[in-house]
Amino acid sequence: MNCPTKRNEDAEILLDYCARKLAPLQTAEFEIHLKQCPDCSRLVEAQKEVLAALKAWTPGPVSADFDARLYARIAAEEAQAAPAWRLWLRRIFQPPVPYPLWKSAVPLIAACAVLAVALSVRMPDSVDHRLRADKVDIEQVEQTLEDFDILTPAVQAPAGSM
Amino acid sequence: MALIPAQPSANPRVKKDMEAVAALDRDAELMLRVREGDDISFALLLERHRGPVVHFLYRMVQNPSVSEELAQEVFLRVYRSRATYEPTAKFTTWLFRIATHVALNWVRDGKKEKGQESLDEQVVDGVDRQVRDRQPTIEQEMLHQVKMTEVRQAIDALPAKQRAAVLMHKYEELEYAQIARALNCSESAVKSLLFRAYEALRSRLAHMAG
Repeated sequence: MNCPTKRNEDAEILLDYCARKLAPLQTAEFEIHLKQCPDCSRLVEAQKEVLAALKAWTPGPVSADFDARLYARIAAEEAQAAPAWRLWLRRIFQPPVPYPLWKSAVPLIAACAVLAVALSVRMPDSVDHRLRADKVDIEQVEQTLEDFDILTPAVQAPAGSM
Repeated sequence: MALIPAQPSANPRVKKDMEAVAALDRDAELMLRVREGDDISFALLLERHRGPVVHFLYRMVQNPSVSEELAQEVFLRVYRSRATYEPTAKFTTWLFRIATHVALNWVRDGKKEKGQESLDEQVVDGVDRQVRDRQPTIEQEMLHQVKMTEVRQAIDALPAKQRAAVLMHKYEELEYAQIARALNCSESAVKSLLFRAYEALRSRLAHMAG
């Protein structure tokens, strides 16, 4: 095996060994080399220390409003690019912050419910009114016919007596 | 936010691309759905990669507010280019290529001096809080703070490209080929960058042993 400290091309073995990314066969081969090469041993120890020091450096958490700020920027960009009606439709069906689709149907369901209540309140009244009008008409006709029946003998009597 | 499992797409273009990326990764599949207008897939991608991208940029620029601002720019670019996205590589390679480009531009534009906070004043690192949770002695905490400051200074002293290579190699565990694509150079150039970068770090941080 070529010594990784001698050739830059072989340095990858050293890096991969320390990062535990080397294949098992190469690892075994390199460990044999390590026992014979003090330069490589020193380098491996130093590299492991560097990696341990870097591992200890952990950044803090991301701000809670990161997504909200990003979606606001996306919305602002789209507002500049798209016509108003398309944006309005998109806000309903494809909001930047996703939410369940059923929520879009709530205003429609509410509007349908209001319409149904309004119709059910209005319709019986109009039907009754029409029925009453029909009933009055029939009564008037019957009354007129009865009046004719009463008047007819009175008109015919003088003719019979003659 | 409700996480909805991705459903098979009916679009033949997406279907064809899906088959092509089947061997690549799930992120590329999600990005193809974003291309078709699925914003929930974008939210999933953001959820998966928000942390790694912000942390990579934080280590690059060493300023929490600037790193978040740059990360927003990265995800904004991802969203902007959704219509032209083609899954020719792993999604993380493409993502870190954008992130590296944004960070290197920021460094090149000389905004570093203006935006950088004093390294001594930084107590935002998660490790500081972890140490406090275990209730170390004041001496231990001070020693840790000194060590972390040295690590940050050692990373900061690296040339920007070497720094990006080390951060992608150590923290994001990207392959040499992926780092090469992100930095727009050859694999052998990446190995050389990494070797020189780790050499500089070994000489700067050698005294931290034990």
